[in-house]
Amino acid sequence: MSVLLESTATSAAMRRNFWSGVWRVMKRKPSRLVGVVLMAGFVFMGLFGPLFYGDPLPRDPSMLTRPPSWQHWLGTDDQGRDVIALVVTGSRYVLLAALVTAVITVVLGTAIGLFSGFKRGRWDTVLMRLTDMKLTIPGLPLLLVLSTVWKFNSAVQMGLVLGLLSWGGVARAVRAQTLSLRERGFIEAARGLGLSTTHIVGKELLPSMAPYIAMNMLIAITGGVYSQVGLFFLGVLPYESNNWGQMLNTAVFRSGALTVPSALGFLLGPLLAILLLTLAIVLVVDAMDEIFNPRLREE
Amino acid sequence: MKRLAAVVALLGLATATAACSGGTTDKSGGSGGGGGLFTTIDVNRPGLDASAPANPWHPKGNSFLGYNAMKLGWVKNHVTDPNQFYPAIAEKWEIAEDNSSITMHLQPNAKWSDGKPVTAEDVKLSIGIAYTQGSTAFAITPGAAGAAADVEVVDDRTIKVTQDMSNPSSKFARGVLDSIIVPAHVWNSVLPADFWEKLKTSRGTGDGAEKAREEILAVGQKVLAFKPPNDVSAGPFTLERVNPGEALLLKNKNFFNAANVAPDQVKFLNYSGNEQIWNYLTAGKLDQSGFVAAPTDVMNRIKQAPGSHLIKGFSPVAVGMAFNQSKKPYDNVHVRRGLAHLIDRQQVTKVASPEGGTAAVTTSGMHQKPAQEWIGSELSSLEPYAHDVAKAETEFKEAGLQKKNGKWTLADGSPWKVTMHAPSGFSDWISAQENIKSQLIENGVDAEVVTVADYPIYLEEIAAGKYDVGFWLMALGPAPYDIYQRLYGASNGWTNVAGKVKHSPAGKAGNWMGSSEEIDVEGVGKINPGELTEKLNAASAEEARPIMSQLAKAANQDLPAIQLWDYVNTQFTNTSRFTGWPEQDSDLLRLPAGVWIQLGLVKKKQ
Repeated sequence: MSVLLESTATSAAMRRNFWSGVWRVMKRKPSRLVGVVLMAGFVFMGLFGPLFYGDPLPRDPSMLTRPPSWQHWLGTDDQGRDVIALVVTGSRYVLLAALVTAVITVVLGTAIGLFSGFKRGRWDTVLMRLTDMKLTIPGLPLLLVLSTVWKFNSAVQMGLVLGLLSWGGVARAVRAQTLSLRERGFIEAARGLGLSTTHIVGKELLPSMAPYIAMNMLIAITGGVYSQVGLFFLGVLPYESNNWGQMLNTAVFRSGALTVPSALGFLLGPLLAILLLTLAIVLVVDAMDEIFNPRLREE
Repeated sequence: MKRLAAVVALLGLATATAACSGGTTDKSGGSGGGGGLFTTIDVNRPGLDASAPANPWHPKGNSFLGYNAMKLGWVKNHVTDPNQFYPAIAEKWEIAEDNSSITMHLQPNAKWSDGKPVTAEDVKLSIGIAYTQGSTAFAITPGAAGAAADVEVVDDRTIKVTQDMSNPSSKFARGVLDSIIVPAHVWNSVLPADFWEKLKTSRGTGDGAEKAREEILAVGQKVLAFKPPNDVSAGPFTLERVNPGEALLLKNKNFFNAANVAPDQVKFLNYSGNEQIWNYLTAGKLDQSGFVAAPTDVMNRIKQAPGSHLIKGFSPVAVGMAFNQSKKPYDNVHVRRGLAHLIDRQQVTKVASPEGGTAAVTTSGMHQKPAQEWIGSELSSLEPYAHDVAKAETEFKEAGLQKKNGKWTLADGSPWKVTMHAPSGFSDWISAQENIKSQLIENGVDAEVVTVADYPIYLEEIAAGKYDVGFWLMALGPAPYDIYQRLYGASNGWTNVAGKVKHSPAGKAGNWMGSSEEIDVEGVGKINPGELTEKLNAASAEEARPIMSQLAKAANQDLPAIQLWDYVNTQFTNTSRFTGWPEQDSDLLRLPAGVWIQLGLVKKKQ
């Protein structure tokens, strides 16, 4: 419907207005810019980071588990490798798995929520009971059990499992939004015009919820990172030589980071990376919230 | 995950607090400068189970060897003689010259903690229980080497056990004395009244014998589940109580050497991981702990704790990188030799086990210390497989491997990746494999480390031939047969069926190593290493010496496994509350600290 009324010129003007709005929101709180830069940094790190280092990583057997120094800013691990190099090269697995988790969470959650909320009736009942069941299964214990029978051989597999375990919350929230939106005038009008369900869902409902879904996706990334890092930290997953969770596990359980200070850098490396990634996502979500919800704008 | 992290952190804090309060008790427990309370941990058992019974056969049983669990004798694990013991329930013993029997005389003053005397009937019942658990000397498998044929109660304090000489073993006496003894008046209900009849039937052939064996094994399950109403011990201590944080044992005043037992109480602290033990040790909370792997910095911190005293000795075990020779290219000895030259064992040991191991001088199949005793100067004539990249390249070329763009490939040009397996939680093995992986990749051999959930699964999968390369405990002494059966035993196809050695082809009957049945050893000629190993079972020390030499040469030349490091037995003790610890390199280090206490070595600090 809206497409029919828009000319090329007006849509270009809207895009310009949108980006200037984005810039205004960013400028108002520079911390949001920091978030965007950090996030871009993590994306760059995941995509190109490993290219900056050799395979295997350079190591010095005379420098095992050393504290931070000028040469190694966060020290070295128990194999004599630079901790920063490990964090950078280990980011690909963690971020890829988290991204897959987030995509599956959002796609599944949105699809089920939209369908359930829009169709209502029996489908809604069945899908929501399914969602309830999913929400009652505790994720971590299930993952612990799964890890004994399934060898998570790749980041994609890891993300797939985590994603399949975390769509419930998104589905419920999207359904609630759908139930609210479907009673609004513009949806009534679309129905009155005899537009197809696909059109109403795809062109009317989904764009209204897109910001909310995008924010959920970013938050799901942090959830994905925490889950997989936690599983590696607990040592329940097969050994992965380069992974933030594995680094935490090795730092604490093999190098004694909680007993001696020399391994503290080894512990701090992945912790800082997780902290910065979370910070980046929180700041970007904060900015998105204001960009997509004009009522929050202070001016 | 966040919640879990918080719970883990809180639990950690709670444990630390519990540990702190434990430390306070330690100090108050002492009288004057010395200690009345002996605080320790059982390194073989992470996690105390408060609900487990004081049953020495129960996997989580609150029965602690040397403290409230006693054996007939304490095996010294002598470097070359498996039949040396410290007295325990048996005060003395006579072993027949041909190893055909052992007669044991019990301690004249031995009593159970409830005041009843320890008798030969207690020993007989305990031997009956040992049969249900398939213990070495009391195996019910037909034709098993070194199995007992008869148990005879000579008098109230004397018992004689005779060996089945159809398949004798020099370790027979060791198998008998290494038996746990429990009180018949508490345990007699676990064995059926016709048990000894059943045992006789089980030694025959046919369906009746098979049925009897099954029934005996079924009794074994009953034994595992048995819950004595309270702990009746013939050891220096009895179990008082257990909670998830600690197990408390009190001195047994009826113990035959109670006058020389210094501690009034023993406390076993609970732990779930090495880092918890490191914290106990750095805080000086433990009077004694068995070996715990620790990185160098942590070890230095432990050494700085007040009263910290480390005692090192020989540990009869080594670790090797074993090959599945059914898989290419490991069937080619030159590939195995090339890898032996390529891997810097000093570096591997430094990274993986800096305090708990010494890099193997070469691959002989034996720990370095017994190797010197058994083969002496011949040890130095073995190929040392020194780290030498050029030699490795020569060996790889001889094996027909190709080097393309700096990477080694198989002879047909297909990629070659050394996939090493290790069980999760074996941090020193994983660390070593990670180091080997880096060393190999740096020299053009692609490699990876793969872990499996736990050790039982690892053993199951390695035996099923699922791995190309895996770490393997070897040189498990001190008995010569035990040492070489790790390389030329069931895992390599040789089994002893009713006294006859049989070789199964690679991939069959647990043969995952897949060595050739005969090896042409330089300077020796063609030998069948499995048959030679089997001969060690009945050989005297003098007879064993030339066999050990031949097997060492075979292992060195054929490399079924690359010996990486020999373990070192490091015991942690603390002199703040107790003194009289064993000397460096003492054979007592291979026994639980409860044995040191019951022998009267450990004294309260004055």
